[in-house]
Amino acid sequence: MKTVITERDGRIVIAVEGELDTDTCARFQEDIASLSGREGLEAELDLSKLDYISSKALRVLIALRQKIVSAGGTMKVTSVTPTVREIFDMTGLSGSLLG
Amino acid sequence: MLSSPRRVSLLLLAGFGVLLIIMTVVAVRFSRDVSLVQQTDNLRDNLETIAGSISERLDSGYPDPYGFIELTARTQKKKEHYSLVLQDASGALLAPSFVVDKGLDIKDILYFDKDDDHFMATVWGQRCFVVVYDFPDRPLTLLGLYDNKYIFDDIVVSEKLFIILISAFFLILLLLSWFWLIPAIERMYDRKDKAEIELSVARELQQKAVTRDFTKEPWFDIHAELRAMKDVGGDIYLCGMVGNKLCFIVGDVSDKGTAASFMMFLLSSFIRSRVQVGLPLDRLMGEVNRIICDNPDYGMFCTLFIGAVNPDTLEMEYCNAGHTRALVDGEFLEQDPQLIAGIDRGFVWHTQKVMLHHGSRLLLYTDGVTEARNEERAFFGEKRLREWMRSRPEGISCREDCSALLEAVGAFRGKAHQNDDIAIMCIKIL
Repeated sequence: MKTVITERDGRIVIAVEGELDTDTCARFQEDIASLSGREGLEAELDLSKLDYISSKALRVLIALRQKIVSAGGTMKVTSVTPTVREIFDMTGLSGSLLG
Repeated sequence: MLSSPRRVSLLLLAGFGVLLIIMTVVAVRFSRDVSLVQQTDNLRDNLETIAGSISERLDSGYPDPYGFIELTARTQKKKEHYSLVLQDASGALLAPSFVVDKGLDIKDILYFDKDDDHFMATVWGQRCFVVVYDFPDRPLTLLGLYDNKYIFDDIVVSEKLFIILISAFFLILLLLSWFWLIPAIERMYDRKDKAEIELSVARELQQKAVTRDFTKEPWFDIHAELRAMKDVGGDIYLCGMVGNKLCFIVGDVSDKGTAASFMMFLLSSFIRSRVQVGLPLDRLMGEVNRIICDNPDYGMFCTLFIGAVNPDTLEMEYCNAGHTRALVDGEFLEQDPQLIAGIDRGFVWHTQKVMLHHGSRLLLYTDGVTEARNEERAFFGEKRLREWMRSRPEGISCREDCSALLEAVGAFRGKAHQNDDIAIMCIKIL
């Protein structure tokens, strides 16, 4: 699992590659720790190379989104693999995550 | 009541205080500078008195002594230093020799140093005579016997000062430990105790949050099992009778730990009471959702599946909030994917209905089952679960079904560790 954070035209792009499950979740949380608390963050989540996300890891994404939104920012998932899309659909999160 | 580290520290402090008092008294009483041992212009004065005791030595070839200075150590076991200044009339310094009473040889005297204007000698707790040899035409004067000094390399520290410094050092050490080190250790143990108490409270809450006694009615069989990943699990299940209907709930709470367990217990109590009112399932889901959303500090979300079976029609009404697909008679239940609870306060759920029949078997579970992974990183998955359910023989009790599934998941997982809580609920319409 690899997290790549880049800035592009004032937006933050978070690209996650590999799998997000119980084991890699903690590392992901460390990687994004620097983003919490930033006001008005415009974040994009590029999950095109994310093969799988466990329900636990999904909660981390939700929590991240909630933190960003409550600090006046936005977070949107810009691309997602079919497997992960299915998981989003099942939990009814496609609406809020994909926008 | 003082804690035991503090009691020990107080004891040490008291003991040390007593020691300090004793040492000070001793130092004061037997202080070297209370009296000069001997000061005389004429060292010859006392020669006769010691003549007897040092005669043996003198017989062995020492010249006639000119006079002597008696130095007496305070205690038998103490090593003491003396500084002597002996000068002759012209101001030239003289090295005294020692003759020790009680049979010690001269070589047992440790050293004899010349240092600027005085000689220093070490005497082991014995009576000691400084014998000064006669030099013709040179009357000798003992100018004085100075304070005892302890020598640390080139630093000369007075004995009393030395005692005071050492005492002060230990006193500071004890005060530091009393006021800082011990409280720090106590705080550490408090934290550990608090953490342990928190954990046991959390475990209790979690235990009480799930149904332990499964209702028995003639028309159904029900059982559920929970296998937490860590000490306190985050999966929840409840079941009970509401009127004549069988009502059950399975859920997966995010964020494990002590705070989540409190929320779980709260939700569990809430659901148990609200369900009795005969609330429609979708309204119940809404209420649960609002409670979670209204407590954002816990940062919790929750998947939930609520179901109710009518014994007369055998119709099951159910409401799903982002939960895993239930298995009914070997097929996945049609569950509209609806939002998990705790995200959107205003979300409105809807219920669905399905007809069951006598002999219907339901399997509800949390994703700890389907997302279980083995050493090759393969998932247990929905397909395998469905195959498992289809392979179950008739006439097995729900309790046995639960155990069998847990075993199957465990066997699949092999040596890989459990990565999530597992909750399983089996229902059979008889």
